[in-house]
Amino acid sequence: MKNSFQRFVLCLVGSGLILPFIIVGGVSINPASNINFPPKGITLDWYMQLLGEAQWLVPMWNSTKIAVVAAVIATSIAVTANYYLWRQKSAFAKIIVSVGVAPFLLPPVILALGASIFWAYTGLYGNILATMISHGVFFAPLPMVVVARGFAELSQEVIEASETLGATGWKTFKTVIFPLVMPYVVTGFALVMIISFNEYLISNMVSGFIVETLPIKIFNNIRNGYSLMLAAASIGFVVITFGILFVVSRFTDLLELFGGRR
Amino acid sequence: MMGRFQTHLVGGYPALLLGLFFIGPLALMLGVSFFERDPMAFFNPAFQFENYEKFTSKRVVVTTMRSITQASVAAALVSMITFTTILIVSDLSRRWQTFWIVLMLSLLCLSEVIIGFAWAIVLSEPSGIPKLLHTLGLWDNPRSLSPSFWAVQIGLINIGFSVVGLMIYPQLAGRDRSIEEAARTLGTPPLKVFWKVLLPNYGPTLLIAFLTMFVYFLGVYVMPVMLGTPQDWNMTVLITDTAIQQFNLPLGAALSIGMMGVSLLALGVVWGINLWRSRS
Repeated sequence: MKNSFQRFVLCLVGSGLILPFIIVGGVSINPASNINFPPKGITLDWYMQLLGEAQWLVPMWNSTKIAVVAAVIATSIAVTANYYLWRQKSAFAKIIVSVGVAPFLLPPVILALGASIFWAYTGLYGNILATMISHGVFFAPLPMVVVARGFAELSQEVIEASETLGATGWKTFKTVIFPLVMPYVVTGFALVMIISFNEYLISNMVSGFIVETLPIKIFNNIRNGYSLMLAAASIGFVVITFGILFVVSRFTDLLELFGGRR
Repeated sequence: MMGRFQTHLVGGYPALLLGLFFIGPLALMLGVSFFERDPMAFFNPAFQFENYEKFTSKRVVVTTMRSITQASVAAALVSMITFTTILIVSDLSRRWQTFWIVLMLSLLCLSEVIIGFAWAIVLSEPSGIPKLLHTLGLWDNPRSLSPSFWAVQIGLINIGFSVVGLMIYPQLAGRDRSIEEAARTLGTPPLKVFWKVLLPNYGPTLLIAFLTMFVYFLGVYVMPVMLGTPQDWNMTVLITDTAIQQFNLPLGAALSIGMMGVSLLALGVVWGINLWRSRS
């Protein structure tokens, strides 16, 4: 049923989305030390240099720490808020979940400036903990939405059965609820990790002067002119992002998760 | 099952975190927007409207108009492009649909910094499209296409595509195809089906996508800085510059509150549309 016009649209948009990475990838394996495409040869020197220099390893390590802790905070908010809503169905529970989704509806610069003033007040400005907490709270909307789908699939009967059989509240949660919701939690966790790892503005405004993350490092470097290591770092990013999503797609049905029905 | 107290304890945890670290900072920012600037420290507590009075200054007015133009052009373009593409994608095989979902998710997650950097190279004279066109003999005198207004637009469309795509995909994938199929069986050309059947049907969806993207694009920082000239720098850049470079937090806070007002207005319309849709 695909006619040629539809094919043309798909190819055009698809290549527009992918092309930039092919070019950056090409640039990053170029042995000459200036930006050049198509590459004049193949080398992995820039990747090797990247992994051998402290000035790149430190931001990488910072970004990783922030991403993991932020993901823990965001998913814990999502699981508890959704569990509470599922148990209580009260107006208060609904408000908590709505507030949890709200950060994604506001332009990030507002959140970033608010956080920066807040952390300046509390004295944690410039502390890595501030970035972790702000990322964790501001990126809670993603797992919030994803985990809600998991709870929507929990039927009341399963819980009642477990209670009838004598399981305590905690035991029901651990052996019945959590395993059923688990795939959604993992997906939410992975998404927060990736987004936190890639985020620039909030990290920069909360503690950018002191805690340099990978996006901040890249952005500052771009301002001082392009280097080939930058291209290599970007491709490293793309590979990590695709990799995590590929792993996620192995054990969650992404199509169903994002609402496809066929 | 857990006791009532324990359940409320579970609910208290997200309430506390969100209240303290999300609502708290916003409330604090609202307060600071009425403070006065202290050149020696950050600010002095006060209650005055001086920061809000600066909204009528030429710089703020020009930046506001520019932000609104930039965001609405990009929002309109990205809504139309994504709608058309996802409409076609939703009829593909399961495997290809998954490919597009993963592609959109990857782009959604990928840093603006990386996407901006990639486009800066693609649009640059020595290694990108200008050079390609020159090699093909289509452009005698190639020059860089970035920084420019349209370079920023391309960057914005690139980052907005996945957001709109993931937002409208469920609706398009699960849509009732009987009317389109009936129209096609009766011999209506596909383009006419698109204009007469699909577009009117998805008017509210497109409007929601437009408004959501408008708010999203108001808040972008990296793309205008990386792909635009100083004439393309939007309100977000001005806020960041005011707060971080000039240390004028009260004015930065006031500008943010102004931007929040515009965003909430747009989101209010979205909410209204949704309400109206669920009733009819």
